[in-house]
Amino acid sequence: MKVKTVDLTRTFSVGPSKITAVNKVNFEVDKATFTAIVGPSGSGKSTLLNLLGLNDYPTYGKIFIDNTDTSLLSGRERRKIRLFHMGFVFQTFNLLPTLNALENAELPMSLARKSAREQREKAVRLLKTVGLGDRLYHRPKELSIGEMQRVAIARALANDPEVIIADEPTGELDSKTAKEIIGLLFDINRNRKTTVIVATHDEKMVEVTDTIYTIRDGKLRLEH
Amino acid sequence: MRLLTFCFRNLFRRKIRTALCIIGVALATTFVIAVGSTTMRYTTVIKEMNVLFNGQVMVVSNDTIVIQAIPIGRYTLQESLAEDIKENITEVEKAVPVLFITPIGLGEIIQPVPVNFSMGIPVENWHLIIGPTPLKGGVGHFPTNESSNEVVIGASLADQYNWAVGKEITVNGHRLNVTGVLDTKLALLNRCIVMPLRLAQKIYYSKSKRANIISVKPVQGCSQEELANAIEQQVEYANALTEDERYDMIQPVLAQVEIWNLGIQTVIFIMSLILVMTVTIMSVSERRRDFATLDAMGAPLSYVFRVVLLETSLIGVLGGVLGIAFGSLAALVLASLYTNIPLAQFFPSIFEIVPPLYMLEIFASVVAVCCVGGIIPAINATRMRIAEVLRAEY
Repeated sequence: MKVKTVDLTRTFSVGPSKITAVNKVNFEVDKATFTAIVGPSGSGKSTLLNLLGLNDYPTYGKIFIDNTDTSLLSGRERRKIRLFHMGFVFQTFNLLPTLNALENAELPMSLARKSAREQREKAVRLLKTVGLGDRLYHRPKELSIGEMQRVAIARALANDPEVIIADEPTGELDSKTAKEIIGLLFDINRNRKTTVIVATHDEKMVEVTDTIYTIRDGKLRLEH
Repeated sequence: MRLLTFCFRNLFRRKIRTALCIIGVALATTFVIAVGSTTMRYTTVIKEMNVLFNGQVMVVSNDTIVIQAIPIGRYTLQESLAEDIKENITEVEKAVPVLFITPIGLGEIIQPVPVNFSMGIPVENWHLIIGPTPLKGGVGHFPTNESSNEVVIGASLADQYNWAVGKEITVNGHRLNVTGVLDTKLALLNRCIVMPLRLAQKIYYSKSKRANIISVKPVQGCSQEELANAIEQQVEYANALTEDERYDMIQPVLAQVEIWNLGIQTVIFIMSLILVMTVTIMSVSERRRDFATLDAMGAPLSYVFRVVLLETSLIGVLGGVLGIAFGSLAALVLASLYTNIPLAQFFPSIFEIVPPLYMLEIFASVVAVCCVGGIIPAINATRMRIAEVLRAEY
């Protein structure tokens, strides 16, 4: 999946003043690439990812996904893209606490109305892939932070997305676990040819990416 | 993963709050069932009373208050009035004196429905008053004109006091023999001792030939109204009441009872709705991140809507089931308290006191109310702005 933005801008009103979190961003992410967006806290990384993930609407500018202008899409069509073509990994994992690891991984497939058998088989396979074959029936509170992020990655892969959008996926992790998660994302990118867009300030993450952008005060700049 | 399991787990994530909400709904349902079935039972019993004098004009003393077919008060008429009416009014096919004894009277505390009755009817005219009522199991016989101490009794009385055919009972100091148990579904007859008129007069009026009702059957082609007018012109001190008039006298009271009942139900259901809505709004607002995550994953709005509505419906189902169970029990206890009949005796007839259709109606109403209570929280859940919620959680 190819993602392209044109003059992408997102402004928030805070009282009488306006804050431009993303300011006229033009960039392009090719299929099967690993892209990192690096910047300090409050620089607009999460806002940019929310826009790219169609979770938010730009104030100005456009986002093209495989040459489709997403501003022309209805809410329902945006949901369909999120469900079938995108996977999300959040800094705080956002696992549903009442579901165990297996059920969390099954959830996107359940929303996509896949058969119960297919959901179960694939969720088990994905959890084994991320190294949680022995933690299938554990609830999030029974898992370590690293394990929770692995479940989140398995969940993001459930519907075979073409792009994974990860917002500071190693932000909450210790360095060893962070390294494992980075390796996992890298493998997904290389083996499954999934486009990965990561917001991070983890230097180790930067080492494995194909393209690095830096963002500061909403302005994006290509590093390499 | 099944949606139902998911919703169940979500509900019991906050066990105490959910349990309190379910108890609240259950208490509301208990109240509705207990009050509703009790009033329904009484209105049914009152409506049933008219069956006894079906198609007949009821003549009572001017001073007597009549609730459907039950004369309230101690005012009586001469038994011979029946003969006078029959002889002097051509539209009369039959006139039967009846002595109907209720344990309530003016100046006493009036229960919503009297508990026990005695009825004295000339033996040859029994069928005219109590209809074709058989004896239970075909055992025993109806009293004859010659019998001076034989009575038949209602099944409920027989059960309560362990009276059976052949048993000697004492009423007003008179020893009587039970010769049969009436096999009827009429609540009034079930609580009645039926005896020959002479015997009733002996027991209650010291052999004085008194009656408190003259039941008059019009000849074919004559309306009850015409007959009643003719009787009232002839007998100044009596009131002749047609079936419609008797019905009209009690109808406003029954209508009021039903309106009050409906009013109570509405208020209780609105309170339940507010309770469920408040609890669910809190629950949804606590789970903003969960809903935002579902939204970010591309969950259809209908899915989020279903999750919330199913959760509130589950509260309704659980609260409704508990409420119906407790409410039925409370209705039995109330029936027992009002009638002084032991509670155990009501258990076999629980579905007569709280009809299954009424249970179903209230259950459906409770679930519907809880479901409606989930609409606003569900709308809130679907209107979350994912980006804002997810950012706020960091």
